[in-house]
Amino acid sequence: MVFPSIPFAVFFPIVLAISWALMARPIAWKPFMLAASYVFYAAAGPTFCLLLAGVTLANQLAAVLISRAEGERRRRILVGSAVALDLFVLGVFKYYSFFVGQLASTLGHLGLGAPLPLLTIALPVGVSFFTFQAISYVVDVGRRVTEPASMLDFAVYLSFFPHLIAGPIVRAREFLPQLASPRDPNRVAVGSGVSLIALGLIKKVIIADYLARVLVDPVFAVPQAYSGPDILLAAYGYTAEIYCDFSGYTDMAIGLALLLGYVFPQNFRSPYRATGFRDFWRRWHMTLSRFLRDFLFIPLGGSRGGRLATYRNLMITMLLAGLWHGAAWTFVLWGAFHGAGLVAEHALKGRIRAPAWVKWLVTFHLIVFSWILFRASSLTIAGVFLSRLFAPGPATLWSPAVLAAIAVVIILQLLPFEPLQWIQARMEGMRPVLLGVGLAVVILFVGATVPSEGVPPFIYFRF
Amino acid sequence: MPSDTPPRDDDSLMNRFERSGMRRARGRDAVLCILVAAAILVLFEGSAVRRAGEETSGGVGRSVLLAVGRPTTWIADHLPLHKAGTNATSWLEPEQNLGGGAFATPGTAAGGVPAVTADAFEPEAIGAKPPPRRRLHTLLVTGDSMSMPLDDYLAQRLDPKGVHVIEDPHIGTGISSTLIVNWGKLAVAQVREDHPEAVVVFIGANDGYSMPAPDGREVSCCDAEWAAIYANRVRAMANTYRQAGRARVYWITLPTPREPARQEIARAVNAAIEVAVQPWADQVRLINSVPVFTPGAVYRDAMPIDGTETIVREADGVHLNEAGSSLLAKIVTGRMEHDFYF
Repeated sequence: MVFPSIPFAVFFPIVLAISWALMARPIAWKPFMLAASYVFYAAAGPTFCLLLAGVTLANQLAAVLISRAEGERRRRILVGSAVALDLFVLGVFKYYSFFVGQLASTLGHLGLGAPLPLLTIALPVGVSFFTFQAISYVVDVGRRVTEPASMLDFAVYLSFFPHLIAGPIVRAREFLPQLASPRDPNRVAVGSGVSLIALGLIKKVIIADYLARVLVDPVFAVPQAYSGPDILLAAYGYTAEIYCDFSGYTDMAIGLALLLGYVFPQNFRSPYRATGFRDFWRRWHMTLSRFLRDFLFIPLGGSRGGRLATYRNLMITMLLAGLWHGAAWTFVLWGAFHGAGLVAEHALKGRIRAPAWVKWLVTFHLIVFSWILFRASSLTIAGVFLSRLFAPGPATLWSPAVLAAIAVVIILQLLPFEPLQWIQARMEGMRPVLLGVGLAVVILFVGATVPSEGVPPFIYFRF
Repeated sequence: MPSDTPPRDDDSLMNRFERSGMRRARGRDAVLCILVAAAILVLFEGSAVRRAGEETSGGVGRSVLLAVGRPTTWIADHLPLHKAGTNATSWLEPEQNLGGGAFATPGTAAGGVPAVTADAFEPEAIGAKPPPRRRLHTLLVTGDSMSMPLDDYLAQRLDPKGVHVIEDPHIGTGISSTLIVNWGKLAVAQVREDHPEAVVVFIGANDGYSMPAPDGREVSCCDAEWAAIYANRVRAMANTYRQAGRARVYWITLPTPREPARQEIARAVNAAIEVAVQPWADQVRLINSVPVFTPGAVYRDAMPIDGTETIVREADGVHLNEAGSSLLAKIVTGRMEHDFYF
């Protein structure tokens, strides 16, 4: 079930009304929210619910054992086992085909080709997100940052439908305290929630899907058929598309949670305003950046082991970040590019002085370049795309609407103030009936732009 | 470019709504707001719930959507708001930009005389220099059962040359009936999914169904009014397939069938196709199969191929058999070589 869909439009008002009706009685609210979240997830595939339940049970069992374990060594072993189990689940469902395919190809090249058990395994939507949240829980329990939650609280945390499919990655210590007591019915950010939902819809359906339809998808499908001006525009177009697609989903997720009384961490802060790779990762998919920092980069040694060790840790972290996005060499290369950018930035720190706008310009175009690797369906397509970048020819896809869509996405992030906060503050003072009318008008207009096949899936659903 | 990264102690910004003083409404306000929005949507688009239910493939979800959709449809159908909403937002419909890919009831053009553009002329036909040929990477072959086994023969010819041939026949379907497949929507989906640089369309064997006129009347086959409605649908599809001029379309007319009743339909279909593709003659190529297989629109089972009388039609008197399809594939690839190399 995707947020911008009729089934969700039927599902959410019912869940919201019952949720607030039961809020004062956690003993009823929690089972209800758990059931609602599983119904939401079952729409993607009922069998996936078994996997979610299995991950929940295994990690809760591990968390309880970790909290009762005596001795640091025993606790570490339990944490390691739980993390290994989560990574095994992720590996089987997300990377099995990739690795077996690569192995078969390598053996074939060596003349040792043998039939390998190449199974077709369906990728459960959201598996990357809920396994990461489970890892954050058991590790935080192991570090004694978080107490083990009750089974019911942990199950609600892991399956809570606004963040279940594509994040943001909410840490246990950010969410479980909110489950400890009923949400205050007199302190709800309704205006912010509604404005985020409306903004997310506009970003996803009007901007991201439009750019994908008229510009990005055709060019990335057959870059050979396009000349330099169109190729260049498609690169900028995808830069705008992926931001609007993913941050649009996040906006809706945060907005829906706000209406239910819950707060999620922020996931984006004008990422195309960044003046360096480090700055970019503090603004783009912030919850993943924090996860990678706290559960991968720092455990690897962070920047404590000298210059070369820091570079190694940065590269490992970003290579795995690339692989997390998808089982393909394009994602690995994308991660390597960002790793190299971070290493270079670290190495050159303080040695190069440049005006802020130059730093921004360079960073922005390096990010645009990296998105080409991210979007291309294969390294071959990425190569063709890049080789056509300077091919002379007509600009067949340059239209005022496309240029305006890209410009709006980028320029709004460069403004010295955040327009969204201003809008949220204005909407917070509006009456609920007026907010409802406004949201309906936005949905009607957004709905009119949906093509006959419906809203395409969010890009991050694949991850 | 200022750098205003968040402080390390609150890098998840969990308190951002507290800090801005934004959490000041009540839970019941949230419910009221969403219910008001839902109510308005039911008034304007209540029938969308039932449609979503009908498009859902079985299960509890379908039953729930249909159960909710019945009353919401009833409400929306008894109010004039749906039409008002559609009128207010129709300028945003994406299919309009694709040339009405999903079949709307065809209407007349807006006031004024439609402009003739350069796309209506094949450069070669007027002695102008044609654009350079491009390499063909992806070819879509689609249509009803007429496109089989033509699609196989095209794949046999082009696959070895590195062309990715997508065979997408939809047996038993027609442009005049949207009951099984809405070809307007299907064309949009095909283009969205495959982005073919060239499209071969061969369809019409199952057509002849009555279609709605702009004023809602059902128009039966095969007078000029029916042909006009059919031509509008073909034009919408052709416009989708040509992808704003980036792709080339090869639309094959129907060879005359054996049965007189079917001949009447085929005549109307072919006439409609000829009219439909006129605005984009440079991009939508008409491949007229009538002079090849049925000269003078007179049905024949066999014809001379390489000096030998060869049966080219199936026993049903409608479809081309293996030999006929093979010959047609040769003609189509020959025409494609004007635009592409492979």
